Amino acid sequence: MIYLDWAASAPPDAHAIDEAREVSARLYANPSSPHAAGREAGARLARARADIAALLGAEPDEIVFTSGGTESNATVLLSLLARLRLGGSRGLKIVTTAIEHSSVFEQARALEAFGFRCAFVRPDSNGIVAPSAVAEALDEDTALVSVMLVNNETGAIQRVAEIAEVVRERCTRAGRRILLHTDAVQAFAKIPFSPGSLGVDAASLSGHKIGAPRGIGALYVRKETTMEPLALGGGQEKGRRPGTENLPGICALARAADDGLAALPREMEEARKKAERLIEGLLAIPGARLFPEGRADQPDERFSPWIVSVGFPPLPGEVVVRLAESRGFLVSTGSACSSRKKDRTRVLEATGLSPETALCAVRVSTGPATTREEIDGLIDALAREVPPVRAMSRGRAR
Amino acid sequence: MRDSLFLVKYGEIALKKRNRGAFVKALKDSIRGKLPDLSISVYETWHRVYVRFSPADREAVSSCLSRTFGVVSFCEALRVPTDIPAVEEAARELAREYLAAGRGTKFKAEVRRAEKRYPLTSYQIACRLGDALLAAFPELTVDVHRPDWILSVEIREHAYLYGPESAGPGGLPTGSSGRGILLLSGGIDSPVAGWMMAKRGLALDAVYFHSAPFTSEKAREKVETLARMLSAWLPGLLLHVVPSTPVLARIKERSKEEETTLLMRACMMRLASLIAAQRGALCLVTGESLGQVASQTIESMAFTETGAGVPVLRPLVGMNKEEIISIARRIGTFDVSNLPYEDCCVLFSPAHPLIHPSLDKMKRAYAGLKADEPIAEALERTEEVRIGARAPGL
Repeated sequence: MIYLDWAASAPPDAHAIDEAREVSARLYANPSSPHAAGREAGARLARARADIAALLGAEPDEIVFTSGGTESNATVLLSLLARLRLGGSRGLKIVTTAIEHSSVFEQARALEAFGFRCAFVRPDSNGIVAPSAVAEALDEDTALVSVMLVNNETGAIQRVAEIAEVVRERCTRAGRRILLHTDAVQAFAKIPFSPGSLGVDAASLSGHKIGAPRGIGALYVRKETTMEPLALGGGQEKGRRPGTENLPGICALARAADDGLAALPREMEEARKKAERLIEGLLAIPGARLFPEGRADQPDERFSPWIVSVGFPPLPGEVVVRLAESRGFLVSTGSACSSRKKDRTRVLEATGLSPETALCAVRVSTGPATTREEIDGLIDALAREVPPVRAMSRGRAR
Repeated sequence: MRDSLFLVKYGEIALKKRNRGAFVKALKDSIRGKLPDLSISVYETWHRVYVRFSPADREAVSSCLSRTFGVVSFCEALRVPTDIPAVEEAARELAREYLAAGRGTKFKAEVRRAEKRYPLTSYQIACRLGDALLAAFPELTVDVHRPDWILSVEIREHAYLYGPESAGPGGLPTGSSGRGILLLSGGIDSPVAGWMMAKRGLALDAVYFHSAPFTSEKAREKVETLARMLSAWLPGLLLHVVPSTPVLARIKERSKEEETTLLMRACMMRLASLIAAQRGALCLVTGESLGQVASQTIESMAFTETGAGVPVLRPLVGMNKEEIISIARRIGTFDVSNLPYEDCCVLFSPAHPLIHPSLDKMKRAYAGLKADEPIAEALERTEEVRIGARAPGL
């Protein structure tokens, strides 16, 4: 089987797995314990934290380890609940987008039940949110702006740095603070960025998208940013995320990030070539459509080269996924995270597609280990399998 | 520990006079077939069926009997020698149990004396037992009009004593009406249709049409789950998974769009009939309900059943959706049927299907398909999945 679903979960990074195994077996002591074994675990934790901070151009204190992307996102959104203590409706507005991952989108919607107002800014037909559209949604009650960096279904890279600028300018004029967060799960170690250069206050990262095990992630929190934790306990992570630290996961995350970022400059160029080849090959299959259609078939810097979304309307994406699997290729429908039917097409619909067309989307997501032969193999498989099955479907030209 | 005993009452079968033996045998086979792993003995004496089991299996046996067609009611019984002291002792044992379970303090005794040579009359026995219980448990009182519980006693070759009865589903024992082929989809209706015909004694095989890649493995698993739920009422069933994509392809290639659903259904009937012939089944069973969808109008049914060579039973034909759903809830299939792994057959459903098709035109369209070849291919590649226990002789 050829694995082309990296955006859902990446194959393990061998070094990271070794690291996790070694740390699990040897450094089992609690990093908060005062004895020698605890101190050794604590030292290793500090080193991993420093490593990740360095990779992000951040300071060690700015890294909070969590269980993954969903928890990192929830930590930011749920910190707003503390504002309810102030009473009134001031500071109860959230500005985010219609294309966020469900862990931001659904969490924001859940906060509406507590009195928060949400603006879900829509993207253009390319799936990219305009900074001016975010600016329009800001008002004096806005407490948080959350915009993802790379969309997990379309690969569209959001203009987070420009949005940060708009938000900062608004803050300066009004003399207030607006928390600015980005969900960088599909960007971390996949495209070059640093939270500092983006100008955000918080950024969510996940381990298993880059080869670390599941159950580890991180939240970058810029220093001097206050975020009230929802869970209380032993005061770990400077009280921002209590609970005994997942040291094997943390060390694996540091290792996978190091491997990924070290290779990124040369991988990026290669990835763009592979994406171009993939898009060109898929579009040569009769009936193929690229989502969003405005994405160019030559290297398009507005999109992550690791994610390509196509469809063969009227064939539902899940049918194409099964056809690919029958030939040994594992791809995915739009998003692996939305099993509920209602939410399956939200992101692509926001780009202006009809629900029927959006349901046709197939996501091919690759990683550094993906070869050109594998890409050619997928193209060949779909070129053979899709047209006869598509001809059987309703809506074909008679 | 001594063995325990369920006494099974079987209502309708008792009316079958000369065929009674065959019906009772079907009932006994059905109970045994559903519990192949337990060491139970099922036997009949004096027009009652008894199930002897080890006390550890009480739950399993009781749950089986409550889902065995042909069982009107059942209850745990004590079997003791017919001498009065033994009967009195058993009565005290049951009374102690009912009091401990908080079933109430008002009781009456009902005695039936099938063994007419017994020295006491039914009434005399009832009086003796009433006295014995009142003496042993001062909190008890006799109330013949509104008792909290009834102590039933039957004097046969042994004395059988029992209390409150649990209801069975009634109907006829599985297999006593022959075998049918159920067309099982993942929807709400077909499992209910199968259950209703099984209630009338039909042993079932199920057929599921799987059109990969349009239908997912999850859809197939869902159908297997539904078959497993149905099999709780049957001594197991055989699920035939028919890969129907070649047939779909032929229909798509050679027919008008508005005819596709009807032609597919006719082909399904044909395939199911061929399986019926292989399996010695005498009919097909579908979940169709008159007028529910375009393919279930009387004109549509008149055409689609031309594909079948055996009678097509449609037990839901006169039922409303709410009535069907209430049975689906009762037999537990509703929540599974409601899972969202719908197949992609919507891809093939015409935007404007025929509602009142002409029989002659549709027959010509069917002939024009020359569907025998893809049907044979589908049949050739059909998979058989055994669901639930395998019953002897079923």
